[in-house]
Amino acid sequence: MSKSTSCTRCKSKSLVRDDVTGHLVCEICGLLQEFDSFEAHFGGITGPQGTFVRLGTAGTGSTFNYKEKKIYDAQKLIDDLVYRLGLSGSKSNDVKSMVATITEGEYGQGHWFTIFVGACAYVVMRKDNKSLPMAEVSSVIGSDEFELGRMIQRIVEFLNLKRLDDYPEFDILNSFETALRNSRSFAGVGEEDKERMRKQGIFLIQCMVKWSLTTGRRPLPLVVAVLAFVGKLNEVAVKIEDAAKEFHAKVYTSKVRYRELLEALVKVAQALPWGKDVTVKNIMKNAPFVIQYMEKKSMSKPGEKEKRDLESLRLDLEDVVGDCLRKCLDYGKDLVYEEDDSSYFKVYSDEKSGLLSGDDVKKFTLSPECLSMVYAKVSNEVGNVKSGKEGRDVHGRERMVFDFRVCTEWWNGESELSKKLLLKQILEKDVGLEALPPSFVAGCKVYEKRREKINAANRRINRIMFPLNADLDDNSNISCKEISHPRKKRKSTKVDVISWEDLIIETLLLHKVKEEEIEKGHYNTLMDLHVFNSGIVPDTPARLQEW
Amino acid sequence: MAEQVVEGSQPVDLAKHPSGIVPTLQNIVSTVNLDCKLDLKAIALQARNAEYNPKASVIMRIREPKTTALIFASGKMVCTGAKSEQQSKLAARKYARIIQKLGFPAKFKDFKIQNIVGSCDVKFPIRLEGLAYSHGAFSSYEPELFPGLIYRMKQPKIVLLIFVSGKIVLTGAKVRDETYTAFENIYPVLTEFRKNQQ
Repeated sequence: MSKSTSCTRCKSKSLVRDDVTGHLVCEICGLLQEFDSFEAHFGGITGPQGTFVRLGTAGTGSTFNYKEKKIYDAQKLIDDLVYRLGLSGSKSNDVKSMVATITEGEYGQGHWFTIFVGACAYVVMRKDNKSLPMAEVSSVIGSDEFELGRMIQRIVEFLNLKRLDDYPEFDILNSFETALRNSRSFAGVGEEDKERMRKQGIFLIQCMVKWSLTTGRRPLPLVVAVLAFVGKLNEVAVKIEDAAKEFHAKVYTSKVRYRELLEALVKVAQALPWGKDVTVKNIMKNAPFVIQYMEKKSMSKPGEKEKRDLESLRLDLEDVVGDCLRKCLDYGKDLVYEEDDSSYFKVYSDEKSGLLSGDDVKKFTLSPECLSMVYAKVSNEVGNVKSGKEGRDVHGRERMVFDFRVCTEWWNGESELSKKLLLKQILEKDVGLEALPPSFVAGCKVYEKRREKINAANRRINRIMFPLNADLDDNSNISCKEISHPRKKRKSTKVDVISWEDLIIETLLLHKVKEEEIEKGHYNTLMDLHVFNSGIVPDTPARLQEW
Repeated sequence: MAEQVVEGSQPVDLAKHPSGIVPTLQNIVSTVNLDCKLDLKAIALQARNAEYNPKASVIMRIREPKTTALIFASGKMVCTGAKSEQQSKLAARKYARIIQKLGFPAKFKDFKIQNIVGSCDVKFPIRLEGLAYSHGAFSSYEPELFPGLIYRMKQPKIVLLIFVSGKIVLTGAKVRDETYTAFENIYPVLTEFRKNQQ
């Protein structure tokens, strides 16, 4: 451009633009300057009026300078990304204004800008408590999730979005609702059914929040797990793999969450009279009763818990047992017909579950006679079903036949947990199970295992140090069997297998390290500090401090 | 430098650690200036325990104290992996001695502990959501990105990673007392957000 400011022949700077053609002309020598046509005309001088903007080209015909072009490109990119993210018009404007504010109207180019726009879109949506997971944004902009996360953090810091009102936490319930609404697997489901599934999903997610299954975990795999569970519960064919792919969640993690949900429900099911027979494999068939039980539990007010416990429990069990027996016919295939069917009539006095204890059993109004009468009726009906089995497919396997109508009956959706609640309210609700976070439970198990190893090591040390007393301790040979690896079981049933961990523990114990410290499992640190002892050196004289 | 305290063999000083828990130091990062220009290729070729890093540094490891050092051509060195301040200093000296033996006039100037990482377990689960809610100004809890809550304490200026399992990581301290103080500061907050099994 600097060339165009002076005449190419006489180097004079007095260039003027011709009013008619728009070309630059030197006033001194009259030379028409080349390659600097201000406007390009179509169809000769009589052609249509207006400026023809040629983007991406330099020189003739381009009226955009670098900055304008950059801004134009940036805005095009924003429009494109916002469209692909499925944001509405107002949200799109918000994103644009946020980008403009943060870059002070400079916008930008390059890969970072794409991530930046994605991050702005995420922040705008989250500010408005709308669901737009990071994984979705990162897949649309084609960047790493963590790179996007770093950019989001920077934006949040820049805009000083510290307060929860300004920048609410990621709403897993919203995410679930959006997933349910947009999922291809649920496309053919009617609105009414979807609404019921939405409530069931929200109920389950809030239960999972209560059971700490959501804390510190990525929300999307959990959403996928609940989606799959609710789908199965309502006879919608949903594959975890497909749902995970659709919502950018990891398949493996989604399956783990799904299993965790099932395991939690199994634990809740222990409160039911036939709870002992409920396992992860058959929990889907028992899920209606379990959820119904949880729902009823959650509806009991915490303040009235003490008073109403027995009363409500009686009602709960009446309902649940009644429902169960009534539906045996429909779930006939799924029930486990044990030889000892009387187990179903047992009312367990389980203090842990807080269900019934001591005198409560006496107050239980379902009399054995009544139950056995109902059971006789049901077993007749089941017998009929068995004799005329219809639910077989061509391969002779029994098909899983759910009556959709029946599936819906147990759910009334009246519990407050079916509505969005605050964390505090969720924690106050009783759903029949108080679970601790899986990572904490795993940690406790590891501690226990280490404690066993420490005790075993202590016994081994004592056996060697005090051989006379060793005979007294008959159990001195144990522990190694306990700690032997399950895979090596065949080989080492009677042989003591001492692992490297045992030897380290022994060494640490011999170096007088406290057992509580060993229990923590920081073996390397303790070995460095106590065994190799390299850290403890005599104070170096000052003159040797600097060589 | 802080007085040498070997965790694990002495009873916990409850005056210093009212919580009864002493964070275990897991990593000490220190720097030292060897005050001479170094030929990194020569070092990498001569020393058995050295490998050349394309980022213009040599990575050297020693087994006792088990540490790793990054040695730069400018003569600056970073020593990582030690479990105590003394170990870190001893390791740095050992590295300096190795460099000297390779024929460089290495000195031992401006040794400084740059970062201390500690960890501990409070042995109860923590409601991270509640903590993030009430300490929003200091915390960042983004389960989409990281399972822990990042708590940026102002005084002492320490970053804590708090996990639902009750495990805590403390980083950013220059002296070990900062780690201990930060933990004693956060402990009552953690107990407030303890998840109880009712």
